[in-house]
Amino acid sequence: MKKTYLCALAMSVLTFSLPAFSQPHQGGTLNMLVEPEPPMLLSVANSSGSTVKVTAKVVEGLLTYDNSLNPKPLLATSWSVSKDGKEYTFKLRKGVKWHDGKPFTSADVAFSILAVKKYNSRGASTFANVTDVKTPDAYTAVFVLSKPAPYLLAALSATEAPIIPKHLYEGTDIPTNPYNNAPVGTGPFKFKEWKRGSYIVYERNPDYWDKPKPYIDRLVVKIIPDAAARMIAFETGELDLAGETPVPLADLDRVKNNLKLGIETRGYSYGPTQTRIEFNLDNPYLKNLKVRQAIAHAINREVLKSTVWYGYAVDSPTPITPELAKYHDSTPSPYEFNPKKAEQLLDEAGFPRGANGVRFKLVHDAMPYGDGFKRVGEYLKSALGKVGIEVTLRTQDFPAYIKRVYTDRDFDFTNHSISNLSDPTVGVQRLYWSKSFKPGVAFGNGSHYSNPEVDKLLEQAAEEQDPAKRAELFKKFQRIVEVELPDVNLVQLRRLTIYNKRVHDHSIDAQGLNGSLADAYIE
Amino acid sequence: MTLENFGKTGPGLYLRSPSGVIGAGLLVLLILVALSANWLAPGDPLDMVAQPLLWPGQDMQFPLGTDSLGRNVLAQLIHGARISLLVGFAAVLVSLGVGIVVGTLGGYFGGWIDRSLLQVTELFQTIPTFLLVVVVVAIGHPSASIIAGAIGIASWPSIARLVRAEFRSLREADFVMAARSVGHSDAWIIFREILPNALPSVIVTTSVMVASAILIESALSFLGLGDPNVVSWGSMIGAGREMLRTAWFLTALPGAMLVLTVLSLNLIGDTLNQVLNPRLRGL
Repeated sequence: MKKTYLCALAMSVLTFSLPAFSQPHQGGTLNMLVEPEPPMLLSVANSSGSTVKVTAKVVEGLLTYDNSLNPKPLLATSWSVSKDGKEYTFKLRKGVKWHDGKPFTSADVAFSILAVKKYNSRGASTFANVTDVKTPDAYTAVFVLSKPAPYLLAALSATEAPIIPKHLYEGTDIPTNPYNNAPVGTGPFKFKEWKRGSYIVYERNPDYWDKPKPYIDRLVVKIIPDAAARMIAFETGELDLAGETPVPLADLDRVKNNLKLGIETRGYSYGPTQTRIEFNLDNPYLKNLKVRQAIAHAINREVLKSTVWYGYAVDSPTPITPELAKYHDSTPSPYEFNPKKAEQLLDEAGFPRGANGVRFKLVHDAMPYGDGFKRVGEYLKSALGKVGIEVTLRTQDFPAYIKRVYTDRDFDFTNHSISNLSDPTVGVQRLYWSKSFKPGVAFGNGSHYSNPEVDKLLEQAAEEQDPAKRAELFKKFQRIVEVELPDVNLVQLRRLTIYNKRVHDHSIDAQGLNGSLADAYIE
Repeated sequence: MTLENFGKTGPGLYLRSPSGVIGAGLLVLLILVALSANWLAPGDPLDMVAQPLLWPGQDMQFPLGTDSLGRNVLAQLIHGARISLLVGFAAVLVSLGVGIVVGTLGGYFGGWIDRSLLQVTELFQTIPTFLLVVVVVAIGHPSASIIAGAIGIASWPSIARLVRAEFRSLREADFVMAARSVGHSDAWIIFREILPNALPSVIVTTSVMVASAILIESALSFLGLGDPNVVSWGSMIGAGREMLRTAWFLTALPGAMLVLTVLSLNLIGDTLNQVLNPRLRGL
């Protein structure tokens, strides 16, 4: 009797001390979210954020990336870069089949890379130096470059450079090819159905090359426009997985208190999001450095982090966010929160307070994308009002905002977010390089900043092969823009994934939910 | 009944109705609050003054709590009254102006004037009011005056049709015939004879229209299409919507203010209807 008792006790201790490991196994339906509804289901000719969320379920890239952005084999099994940095050789995986049964070969890779270069807005700059893709045999692809491009290996994911079937795209108009909305790929899931405004259904690809993956039988991607409704969908079990902070931040406590639900912060290192104030340097007040310094001194980042973004943000006073750790310059901003100093700088700049306490007036446009940027605008109105700058907020829809800031340049200052993308040359250079001041091109150099030294540093970094030297060039660049303030870099947003705890292994690499989900399984 | 007669008997009858007195009392109170907003809650109500999401009663400096950006809810409610009432009354002034002119011309003169004006009126009536307001505000930029103008432009047809109907029936009335036979001009007949007699029904409609204009403004602000630089009850509800399950007072309080305002205007409208409608008065 006593013995059995002890034995049972020992057993229970044993079971409790072992973490509850569950094994990946096949089966089940996973309900995840995409928001807003994607304009297309394939990112070959469209780089919008929601297209990127679904692309990698069906098609694959040459490479995939771990959380520290180290490249891992996917369709390419090995690769090498020539000494001069102008030739990239990829050995391709054998025995991979398209969803329609045709074999995957190097011809598909050559066709896809050149298509992305031609039709994808980001691909156009990432692959600008790629002049040709040679295919010496069916399982070797060689990229030939006119100039070195050290950022190239970071841009070969399924979303940035999707490998599409040549036999279905050749001779067609790629941006309007119907397979963009019913994609055929080599990936873990096959496209089944897209019910517009409601859901997209994918089914398990039983012939996937990486057996026994994928584990999930059916992947339903739901479109739920209202954030509060998404929270309820999580609570009722209609939604299992959603990224980029899908529920109202005020509801996160409910998520934390719900035993079924979990919060994940990993899976976002491929393209961290930076928020910033961009000045129009052609504005008579804002072209004055002292005015910009005063604005930087008037902003309390603590309030931005804790109140405006509910604590889900990290200090990032430089254009390269802390998440791109290799390149991020961690020197603190030279402009600490100090309203007195701000007032002093504005006095020095020749803008004393008038009879009504106002020095001058500015109009602020917040990016109309969710509530967050509007809240930043409301904070700026309040904070700058305290140092005598009267801010009027202006609202408009997204296309009107883009046109105002980037085409008409009819703005004073704006706050928005911008992705660092996979590499500063791809994601950051466009914002500060004088040659990317091109009215009409969205999310370029909107401030009209021009500094020959910055141009030189960015151009050198774009071609520098030595990683250490490259990082030093980027750090030098950051220290200059941090002082000269063509923009005020505010915080990096911490994006959260909400998940039902029955779903495992969904955020295991740099792309997280934007990846293929081949490893995800349901308990 | 002439205008003088209405002046003598109207107020007395109105004051005998409890709901009318309550409605008028509420509205007067709201107007007083709106007028004294700068004195009751000095400073910009959109200023971030305290810790965010304080509950009502938690800090007596902010008796109705603070919103998610730490703004004083009481100050926002007080200043919100201003924009709601201003937009409500201004919008109705615009629609009264347009509606009375169109209705009078069409109803009095008839013929091709009436037919063409009626077609314009119908054109406006086929467009859903709210959509028209959204379009006008999107073309201009959202400010209180544009919003009021847009609501006025979108809602004048009901006034126009009402005035036109009154004019069509009254222009054949005996007293109008008498005025015409004495040789009075059209302008005299319109302004001295018919319009005063058409006014009672217009006044009743007006009070309800103010209420609906306030609701349209709130709906616009709720959707984030209002003026972002002023507080409105609608924008408060819109901003508080995400916190509906954690801080319900952020939506309930401005919602209650809207209910009270619309209720007061409806009570006034009902009472005016009883007072001014000869049939209901048993005359």
